[in-house]
Amino acid sequence: MLQVAKATFIRNTLVMLRAYPWSFVIGHILSGVYTVLFAFFVYHYVFAGQLDDRFILLSGSSDYLSYAILGGAFYAFAVSTLMNVSRSLITELREGTLEALLLTPSPRRGYFLGNVCQQVMRTVFEFSVILVVGALFGLTLANTNVWSAALVWILSTVAFFCQALVLGSLMLRFRDTYITQNTLFVIMAFVSGVTFPIPYLPEWLQPLGQIMPLAPALDAFRQCVIQGKPLIAVSPQLFHMAGLSLVYLWIGTWSMRRMEKRVVESIFG
Amino acid sequence: MRQLSSYLWAEIQKEHRHSFHSKMIYFSLLVWPVIMFVTAYYSFAPFRMGPDSPLARFVAAEQLPLFLLTGYLGYIFYWCLVQSAWQMSFERQAGTMEMIFISPVNRLAFLYGRSLSSLVEGVWLFFCFVLLALLFVGGIHPSGWWAPILAFLILLVSAVVWGGFLSVLFLFSRDASFLYTVLDEPMLIFSGVRLPPMAFPLWAKVISFCFPLTYALQLVRGLLMEGETLLALAPKVGLLAAVLLLLVITTIVLLKQAEKHMKETGNMVMY
Repeated sequence: MLQVAKATFIRNTLVMLRAYPWSFVIGHILSGVYTVLFAFFVYHYVFAGQLDDRFILLSGSSDYLSYAILGGAFYAFAVSTLMNVSRSLITELREGTLEALLLTPSPRRGYFLGNVCQQVMRTVFEFSVILVVGALFGLTLANTNVWSAALVWILSTVAFFCQALVLGSLMLRFRDTYITQNTLFVIMAFVSGVTFPIPYLPEWLQPLGQIMPLAPALDAFRQCVIQGKPLIAVSPQLFHMAGLSLVYLWIGTWSMRRMEKRVVESIFG
Repeated sequence: MRQLSSYLWAEIQKEHRHSFHSKMIYFSLLVWPVIMFVTAYYSFAPFRMGPDSPLARFVAAEQLPLFLLTGYLGYIFYWCLVQSAWQMSFERQAGTMEMIFISPVNRLAFLYGRSLSSLVEGVWLFFCFVLLALLFVGGIHPSGWWAPILAFLILLVSAVVWGGFLSVLFLFSRDASFLYTVLDEPMLIFSGVRLPPMAFPLWAKVISFCFPLTYALQLVRGLLMEGETLLALAPKVGLLAAVLLLLVITTIVLLKQAEKHMKETGNMVMY
């Protein structure tokens, strides 16, 4: 399995460096940087730093800039992970390599592990750049509990990976990446507390945020970075994330297997 | 003229068949813009609102939904064209780009037909949503019965010119998605879609006035929200017309350059 993972990692890195010259990487970074800029403008120039009283109560801090910048950076990280993993099989299909991949006796776990490791390399880079830009525009990292934040980040990668399996099988089902992924992303940006705390939403919409791993992941990450909380303090969010991951993993592996079979039958006959 | 309009019509028909093959397209035309608009509205929730809020220096609190609605309407007009220009890369991949340039079709008719097609098709759904929403949103103060029609025309013309300009830019680049990222989101921040450009620092104002959408939105809001007279709007209309003229001239120059390059190298796909 590890050999397959290593081979996939090397191949994907070569593809990223040679075939698609950084389009997605730069796109994700810029998208995060624009969120940083928006937060900075709205806070300083439009609202002159005056916050709603409920915001401090709901977010546990009056540091709006850190709240919004971390939201933007983490959202970019989630989108990047979801996209890189979920698009892997349909990209193989489009490039004509899926048949060869399915014919090999390599375990699918190794293939996805290689994909995840390769994309972690990319997202660490993207995330770091956004945080550096964010620090220039008012992100405060002084209270950060580094180890807790890093662990939440790693656990989030696992959760997004599980969600990506479901998204990937939907993509294979509809033979589409553009509509499927972007519909999920706009909904995620709306209901997961990226730029505002979830309780501001109408009550009937709030449960939608709870089925996205981004919501508990972002909540836990913000608490570790902005308030410097230890891992134990964010355990409810971590359990929430673990529960969602298990459900997505179960649905994802089942549907991915079904979709692979379907693709083999319908395309390769 | 008849020939020109037949080229325009042909391009519009082609784009329609190309884009509207699946009902999924309605997601990008209606569902995404509506969710994006609502997200933008809630993004202001963490701030202090009310008549004495700092926001009132630029937009009255009760006019915020209308401000965002007009902003997003303008943005969707322009966004459809960024999409259409972005799809220019498919012409390269499909090998039809060279065929178009070999044919004696008027190049500008091809470019603007492309823009016009995606605009009319892309915008109508969201336009209906905005019309409905306007009925339920307070703060409308139009200059007259003609104000919505004039606002629509301003958005239509400026967006088509912008779309033609973008399509030409995409003739020069193989990695089109990168240009898409560079042009699309800055427009959302700097053009006054979600935030009033008057609140920006000088450097950001300079960027915002590079986008024709900034001028178009100023006019649309003047017409629909502030009830400004035509006379008061005349200088702004003149400014927008000057910017659009500059864009058309740049489009023609770039188009000629791209075609000259193609004639020299015999290759349009690999600029």
